[in-house]
Amino acid sequence: MEALKTSAPALPPGFSLRETRADGSQEYFLNMGPQHPSTHGVLKLVVRLDGETVVEVVPHLGFIHRAIEKMGENETFVQYIHLTDRMDYLSSHINNLGVCMAIEKAMGIGVPERGEYIRVLVSELQRIQSHLLWWGAFGMDLGAVSAFLYGFKEREKITQLFEELCGARLTMNFFRPGGSNADVPEGFIGKVKELLEEMKFSLDEFDTLISKNMIIRERCFGVGRLSRERAANYGCSGPVGRASGVDFDVRRDDPYSIYDRFKFEVPLGSNGDCLDRYLVRIAEMRQSVRILEQVVAAFPEGQYRSKEKASYKVPAGSYFSAVETARGMFGTYFVSDNSFKPYRVKSRSPNFSNLSALNEMAQGGKIADLVAILSTLDLIIPDIDR
Amino acid sequence: MGLMGGSPLTGPGPEGIQPGPDGGFPPLPETGGLTNAVDWVVGWARSNSLWPLVFGTSCCAIEMMATGASHNDWARFGLEVARASPRQADLIILAGTIVEKMGSRLITLYEQMPGPKYVIAMGACTISGGPFYYDSYSVVKGADRLIPVDVYVPGCPPRPEALLYGVMKLQELIKKGAWRNSLIPRPINHAPFKDEMSETAREWEAKEKLKQEGMKEAQEKFKAENPDFKGVVIKRVAAPKFDEVARVVRPARGLPPAEILALLKTFFPTLGVYNLPEPDAAKLAALGPEYVLDLTVPKEDYLPLISLLRDDARFKLDFLIELTAVDWKDRFEVIVHLLSTEKGHKVFLRCALPHDAHPELPSLTDLFSAANWHEREAWDFFGIRFTGHPDLRRLFLDDDFPGHPLRKDFEDPSRVVKRPY
Amino acid sequence: MTEIPANNPVGDFLRANLPAPWAAIGNGLIAVAALAGLVTVTAIFLIWLERKVCAHFQARLGPTRVGPFGLLQPIADAIKLLMKENVKPRGVDALAYFLAPLLPITGSFLVLAVIPFGPTLQVVDLQAGVVYVVAVSGLGILGILIGGWGSNNKYSLLGSMRSGAQLFSYELSMVLCMLLIVMGSGTASLREIVLSQQGPFWHWWIIKMPLAGVAAFVLFMVSSTAELNRGPLDLSEAESELTGGFHTEYTGISFSMFFLAEFVNMFASAGLGATLFLGGFLPVQLGYAPVDHALAMLPGVCWFFAKTYSLIFLYMWFRWTFPRLRIDHLLSLEWKFLLPASMANMLLGATLVAFRWIIP
Repeated sequence: MEALKTSAPALPPGFSLRETRADGSQEYFLNMGPQHPSTHGVLKLVVRLDGETVVEVVPHLGFIHRAIEKMGENETFVQYIHLTDRMDYLSSHINNLGVCMAIEKAMGIGVPERGEYIRVLVSELQRIQSHLLWWGAFGMDLGAVSAFLYGFKEREKITQLFEELCGARLTMNFFRPGGSNADVPEGFIGKVKELLEEMKFSLDEFDTLISKNMIIRERCFGVGRLSRERAANYGCSGPVGRASGVDFDVRRDDPYSIYDRFKFEVPLGSNGDCLDRYLVRIAEMRQSVRILEQVVAAFPEGQYRSKEKASYKVPAGSYFSAVETARGMFGTYFVSDNSFKPYRVKSRSPNFSNLSALNEMAQGGKIADLVAILSTLDLIIPDIDR
Repeated sequence: MGLMGGSPLTGPGPEGIQPGPDGGFPPLPETGGLTNAVDWVVGWARSNSLWPLVFGTSCCAIEMMATGASHNDWARFGLEVARASPRQADLIILAGTIVEKMGSRLITLYEQMPGPKYVIAMGACTISGGPFYYDSYSVVKGADRLIPVDVYVPGCPPRPEALLYGVMKLQELIKKGAWRNSLIPRPINHAPFKDEMSETAREWEAKEKLKQEGMKEAQEKFKAENPDFKGVVIKRVAAPKFDEVARVVRPARGLPPAEILALLKTFFPTLGVYNLPEPDAAKLAALGPEYVLDLTVPKEDYLPLISLLRDDARFKLDFLIELTAVDWKDRFEVIVHLLSTEKGHKVFLRCALPHDAHPELPSLTDLFSAANWHEREAWDFFGIRFTGHPDLRRLFLDDDFPGHPLRKDFEDPSRVVKRPY
Repeated sequence: MTEIPANNPVGDFLRANLPAPWAAIGNGLIAVAALAGLVTVTAIFLIWLERKVCAHFQARLGPTRVGPFGLLQPIADAIKLLMKENVKPRGVDALAYFLAPLLPITGSFLVLAVIPFGPTLQVVDLQAGVVYVVAVSGLGILGILIGGWGSNNKYSLLGSMRSGAQLFSYELSMVLCMLLIVMGSGTASLREIVLSQQGPFWHWWIIKMPLAGVAAFVLFMVSSTAELNRGPLDLSEAESELTGGFHTEYTGISFSMFFLAEFVNMFASAGLGATLFLGGFLPVQLGYAPVDHALAMLPGVCWFFAKTYSLIFLYMWFRWTFPRLRIDHLLSLEWKFLLPASMANMLLGATLVAFRWIIP
């Protein structure tokens, strides 16, 4: 034992190891990631374990830090849109919208009626698409591999709609200040209507497969609890915050685009555990379907964007916009020094704050609980690392 | 590039093995029928049983998963046995950007795989750095700088069909007889950084210049021969014209900025408003209903002010949206965005700091747990030291990264490629 | 009940024409060769079947490119795994590391020796067949434990410790279910157990012993799923948690041994289930003479494989439907529910047998 102690490598930064206990047992470290199937990308977690019980989790970030904010300083305001595609690539439309809104705020650009409808339509489709992928990945993380394929099967339908809309399946780059870069193609609304009918059916199917499954309920109930105060303190937004009872949804409480015209509810959890996070997302999908039904029912004619500009010279000052992505509040903060390029860009990514609460949630659970928590946090690592 | 690694990008292959006449493979020795049959069987087996490693760093990983999903189903090619352990994998599909910090891990993964092993570079980032080639201080400009790559699949991200095509190309390569060389360790490259794109651009410019000169001569000759020629009239399709639309402004929720300021002034008389000297209610109202109060805070009031904003029942700013900094070349500004989840109002704060090597500011971690990582990020990017922070380490970059990259004076030619325009 | 001869023509031929020791050796060699062939073919076919079944559960096609319906896919995998570099990671315990993959496959191989594939197709009919099965199947657990320990990897260690806890606990309820049948039929020889189920299908032990038989079958299926390390109880592999569990560090041929053992084990376990509960090689009899005669025309080995593959399909159905349990849930399921339930079931069965309340 002595030899083992002296030859042991230096501890990972940010850690201290407790003394060997009287019975000779000892805590140990486990590196999860950066290449690990349940970290959803290249997140590294250094886990201090007591047997299988998690004592402490320290996330290590930066394995996909691509310097997007620095790059933004060397690109024009509109060029920054395409970089946000690659941050939270499952909410790329909504990220784009956030950037466009900040530019609109700075330049005083308005958006025509049809343009606003397109924005809400596409954003909500994107939210459903993202949650579908999350649902599949959640199933896979908990061992129900087939769920992953079912989630992807439904998601593919929306992906194909997006492809028809803007030619891209993942990195959209579709919204522009003042509207979008193209109108919706012919027959698009009809296809969305069909999709919504199918979606209602498949959401019921999902409930039978996973939501009502006893093993899932056992594994999620009471696991990874986060109280309302702690969630707000950690800055948790989106489904993670709402599952803990942080009653804040940018769409309702700080409405952008034309979200204040539609009727929808913001699902809230009370326990703040994995099950609540799961149920909140499922309920959110149903609410998105509800919004989309109202959108397609009242989809107006007219121009889809306002007058184009070749370039945007943003007056000096700082501009902030917030949108609700599938993961929470996405903020775009531009600092301009009266030029065509931003002086400083900062993107507030929802995942960044949500993940910071991980240690508190995972303490005392098992390794399998850690996986369930990571899964219900719905992490997109490039969004955290930027 | 061939399986041998004898390519212009990764340099010559291992000692004693010369690339073949077509650039890729060394010629196979003459063999008899039986050996050829065994060759064929093994090549067939290897090409049809490529087990990929579960490896995805960013956007391309989603398309890789979509390739595995029901619609495209890479199981048809025997690829669905995705292994989480590199020991059992045959193939790495590099799905997503490789950054410097991940690079060393990628090399480890590659070395942990038993031979024969194959690599598909999926997407623009792993081919060349893609959209992150210029101005990025952390992205590896092409994964083949680190490990040998067999097949490149372009796209950002490539469609699932493109990835399947890449897999089929790899199968062809393996069947061609490359399996014999695959056990020979291929070099892992630690080449220093070289700005290939700028070099190509310069070459291209030189060629373009020559071409322009040639064109000029030809044009003059043409003009001299056809003095009556008036030029071609090009009719363009008219782009749709759009009208200006008036912006609809929604009033901010919660307490109005003037009221917040008046309340705060009773506690902190030195408080100012950014870009608004001597603020009063009328001036604030003139900024429009969307305006969010943007306070300038002296360093000594920073912590007490935020603690008041958080705890006072009138403000209840319980949610830290973000904490970041701006480098104004002569000073730093730490920027704090706060939100009240109950009332809906926001307050922005900024606190100026001297432009030192490591300016100091009290940490907010006691008030907001969220501030922990935001402050680490500000330390990482700007070198601002937050006193009282429990664990002020770099957040994103390696501990030995030189300097703080989001400072305006950050220069690192070994990492950053500046745009040539 | 009709007498069914136990010897097959090949064995009789050898015994008639060779002196006794040589006949025994010859018979043994033939049996080993047949079993080895069966193991290989079964494993390869099961791998193909699993991939196809899984694909169709998931609205996919599965392997299609090599051979008709992708039938050659596992052969390609096998050749590739054989030709792959065999890595010995730094710091492993070489003896344990290379010995471990051989144990599970040996265990399942030995189990197959006592399973009656047909009326005349059984390597050896031990009087204590059930006890023997329980004894040798323990080798698999040993292999997993040794492999996890020898790999010098924390994931492997965690995986093997999990499987140690899991397999030893589930062994208990599985043995109790098997004992119930031993009690009912009054013999521990697998052949005798099969023969005790002659007649229409309600003479199978699953129905013959009212209630207790079905309960024992369900308990047997659950605990054997755990024994097999298959989803939803595949905690020692648990890909999303432990990357590969006990076989994280294994490559090439060593890994393929674990991989093969998993499928051969599944076959052995399903075969055991069919033998104990579903009448083994006996044909399905509906109690209606004309149909029964037609059904009895099929040789016993076909019935055995049909029943076994139905159970295998059930295992696959479990795996591709259910999410994975957590380790503490898994253990409390065994110790707080399955074990008491199988003990109560034993009591019930004992009562039934004592008062002869079983279907005649």
